Amino acid sequence: MHFLGLPFAELVTIFAIAGGAVTALYVLKLRRRPITVPFSKLWARILKDKEATSLFSRLKRIFSLLLQLAMLALLVLALGDPRAAIEIVKGRNLVVLVDTSASMQARDGGPAGKKPRIDEARESLRKIVRGLGASDHMLIASMDAVVTPLTPMTGDTSRLEQALDELRPVDARADFPRALRYAVDTLRGVKRAEIVVLSDGVLGEAKDGLGAIYSNACDEENAPKPAGKFTCVGDARLSFVPVGSGKRNVAITQYSVRRYPLDRSRYEVMIEVQNLGDKDEDIELRLLGDGVLVDLTKLHLKAGEKLPRFYPNLGGASQKLEARINIAPLSPSDPPIYDDLPADDRAYAVLPERRRTKVLAVTDANTYLEAALLLDEYLDVTTMTPDEWRAHGELGKSDVAIYDGVTPPLKPGLPALYLDPKDGGPIKVGPAIKEPGFDTLDRKHPLLRWTAFDNIGITTANKLVPAEGDKIVGASNDGPLLVAGSRAGTKFVALSFDVRQSDLPLRIAWPVFLMNTINWFVEEDADYLSSFKTGEVWHVPVPLGVTSQAVLVDPEGAPHPVPVQEGRAVYLGERAGFYRIKAPPDVTTPSGATPSDVYFAANLVEPRESAIAPEPALAIADEAWMRDPARVAHCKLACASGVDPECMPKCAGHEAGQVKDSGAGVRDEKWMYLLALVAIATVVEWATYHRRITV
Amino acid sequence: MGLLDLFKKQGPSSIRGAAYDDLFDDEFQRKLDYLAIVSRKVFAGRMRAERRTKRSGSGIEFADHRDYNPGDDFRYLDWNVYQRFGRLLVRLYEQEEDVSIYLIVDASRSMGFDFKQKDGRGRPGNGPKIRHAKRLAAALAYIGLSNLDRVSVVSTTNRVADRMPTTRGKQRIHRVFDFLRSVETDGATSLEDALKQFVAQNKRRGLAVLVSDLYDPAGFEKGINVLRYNKFEPFVMHVVDPDDAKPDLSGDVRLLDCETGDEREVTITKAMLERYAKVYEAYLKEIEVFCTLKQVPYFRADVTIPFDDLILRVFRRGGFLR
Repeated sequence: MHFLGLPFAELVTIFAIAGGAVTALYVLKLRRRPITVPFSKLWARILKDKEATSLFSRLKRIFSLLLQLAMLALLVLALGDPRAAIEIVKGRNLVVLVDTSASMQARDGGPAGKKPRIDEARESLRKIVRGLGASDHMLIASMDAVVTPLTPMTGDTSRLEQALDELRPVDARADFPRALRYAVDTLRGVKRAEIVVLSDGVLGEAKDGLGAIYSNACDEENAPKPAGKFTCVGDARLSFVPVGSGKRNVAITQYSVRRYPLDRSRYEVMIEVQNLGDKDEDIELRLLGDGVLVDLTKLHLKAGEKLPRFYPNLGGASQKLEARINIAPLSPSDPPIYDDLPADDRAYAVLPERRRTKVLAVTDANTYLEAALLLDEYLDVTTMTPDEWRAHGELGKSDVAIYDGVTPPLKPGLPALYLDPKDGGPIKVGPAIKEPGFDTLDRKHPLLRWTAFDNIGITTANKLVPAEGDKIVGASNDGPLLVAGSRAGTKFVALSFDVRQSDLPLRIAWPVFLMNTINWFVEEDADYLSSFKTGEVWHVPVPLGVTSQAVLVDPEGAPHPVPVQEGRAVYLGERAGFYRIKAPPDVTTPSGATPSDVYFAANLVEPRESAIAPEPALAIADEAWMRDPARVAHCKLACASGVDPECMPKCAGHEAGQVKDSGAGVRDEKWMYLLALVAIATVVEWATYHRRITV
Repeated sequence: MGLLDLFKKQGPSSIRGAAYDDLFDDEFQRKLDYLAIVSRKVFAGRMRAERRTKRSGSGIEFADHRDYNPGDDFRYLDWNVYQRFGRLLVRLYEQEEDVSIYLIVDASRSMGFDFKQKDGRGRPGNGPKIRHAKRLAAALAYIGLSNLDRVSVVSTTNRVADRMPTTRGKQRIHRVFDFLRSVETDGATSLEDALKQFVAQNKRRGLAVLVSDLYDPAGFEKGINVLRYNKFEPFVMHVVDPDDAKPDLSGDVRLLDCETGDEREVTITKAMLERYAKVYEAYLKEIEVFCTLKQVPYFRADVTIPFDDLILRVFRRGGFLR
């Protein structure tokens, strides 16, 4: 017997003091009420009978005292929180990974089949918590795109049960390797460790950037043993609690929208739907532009069929585009039928903002430049000769300036493209270079998107001397030719040759380069046309003027402050829907205006999450087996069909066991029983006193 | 205007305190008159003014024979019997004499005990037993005086506390009232000692009516036997208060005897009260059996019954005046 509460010596002291007080109070009985009677001899006759049993009476009184002392002893013992020594030695340490990925939203649980899987997981976990031993400790972590511990390693069941209410499934996939590695690291070196995974589906291979996580057979004490009947990962035993039963699901697995570059009033949509169930389904696919139905299509999908659809030349939406699918009802008047997982029945996209860009072109009759700018109808181009520009300056406010052959300083708030710059601009110009070419290109830079600058013939160019922080986008072996940078928050691009002295205007890259440059200046980046994917870190362009922090408003309308790095808000999103980024209240644009909000969308387009057919077992590959060529060859042959993505780990690995003592039980803490005994003894004492048995 | 009316006007009762006025008030006295009249009508023939004793004497009613002893008066020899049986027998006649009635009122503290007042709960009770004892004694005295008997009233505790000298004649009832009014309860009960003193003080034998609750720690038998052994005709008028049988007690208490001061700690429970009621009943039964065995007329005077009813019951039962 061990005392986890007060030490034994203190318990003895408390009992001695309190016991003495109880005995003293017992001896000092309450003074009885004097009552005068006419003839006490009659009472004496009754009392004579009692005196005949005085020994028994004394014993009864002693019994009452003993009962009270026993109650005191039980209370004092309860203060000590006694535990059997064997319980302390055999306490388990569990890390429970609860799958909170999108598939856990599937409503296929419960008798009516409408209970979310996460509730089923909660109930299973609640049973495990209530079946914990006296010395067991547990940590609960949610497993989705990130691993979030919801409790410390604790034996406090109330704290653990409280954490169950914090489990919320998100619209993202589960990062099982990361969660498993977290659990393995947490339990490294811990005795009687156990990892419990509560999940519904295919978790994928346990392999991340640090390498694969392997399992091994182990014995009762988690020691590696080839013929052991348990499965261990690291120092911990692995257990699996399967969740879910249904598999009827049709999902949107791809969704992409973009405006036509030269006709921004129209757009095209690419969507892919997949039937992940085992029965054919008739579905209705709706496209909604700004909440208004744009298109309705009925599709027939065979079991497992993947169907891409392309909707060109659509119009009618200015910003938000949403796709919805549902099972087609038997009658058009019937309400829509939804499959088991509604989370993947919707997809969202935001069209880039259609706004006209005012361009000031200072050029001396550069036809190639003027013609290229005419291609985009959303550009308001003002063309001035250098002499007019020197005489009158800018006429009105412009968003972008293109200086061809003139090199004025960079004006704050007016990003500029310098063609054939000279000294006096934002970048120094070095010596001339004869017949250079683009030998190195930063092909991922937005300026070069959809362009080919290779093999451009250039008569002569000037070598650019970029300052610190400037980005060399293209360079010859003799020096930089295309540099992008910014000065005091205003962007500039410098192309170090006269395009008329090259064959660039004759190439398609020329107008594309111009539009890329203008888009880069005004932050019209085609990257975010396609929605972001949940469960990944997003880098979202922020409103003009925002530099360090922005406010992100999620689909539920809740604001979140997000950091801004390199002009982009960084955020790990796990909810599908329309988002909005707004500038903090005290931020204005360089021109002093209030920045416009930026909208974007996020989608769960993850076929692995949409495949909601529950996996009855969790298998982790064995390292030794995976290094055995014969076994690997055999398994590859066995898994050649490729139907089961878990086939390989099952073939060359170990399946997780069942959770031990997962049945509903009561924690074996003695102090609760001691208090119950005190309560019973109190009732007995009360009853015997009032029945005058012990008085 | 009757005697009682005169007593009412002349007697000191009208100027006494309320308690005394209540004891022998006009209503009480009217009932006494009624009782006296009713007793004469109902028990006519048996309830004459004279009372015959069993002692043979010079009366005119033949009572018995006995053997002749030398020295007897020859005039009382029954010659007819001698002629028929050859034995000398003397005729005995009942001697007519006025009877002495002693009303012995127990004035110990238990007679003044009122349970409802003592427990401090303030509920109305039956009042102390001495109050009823005094009324009974007064009624019996009045009837006795009405029958021209000699009536004496004695109050006792563990001794003879006070005594009213023998008197006769209905008009002397006010002396009885005065005496009874003056009786206060005090002291312990010892019937044996008190009645020993009583018989020593009263050589003339007669009817000794003992009005008491018989709460004698030494035993009620001894006191009654003192009367029996000294040739008195004891009549036990047992004053009983039902509250004594069912005391309103509960919990842990210390019982104090109102006379002896004996203390007993006891926890009163319902079961114990039931046991007490049985013991009390057994005590009453014990007294009744004793009196029956000893041929002592016994009458239980319940304080809850009006005194006039009680008196009529006494006469119906017989034994008081024969």
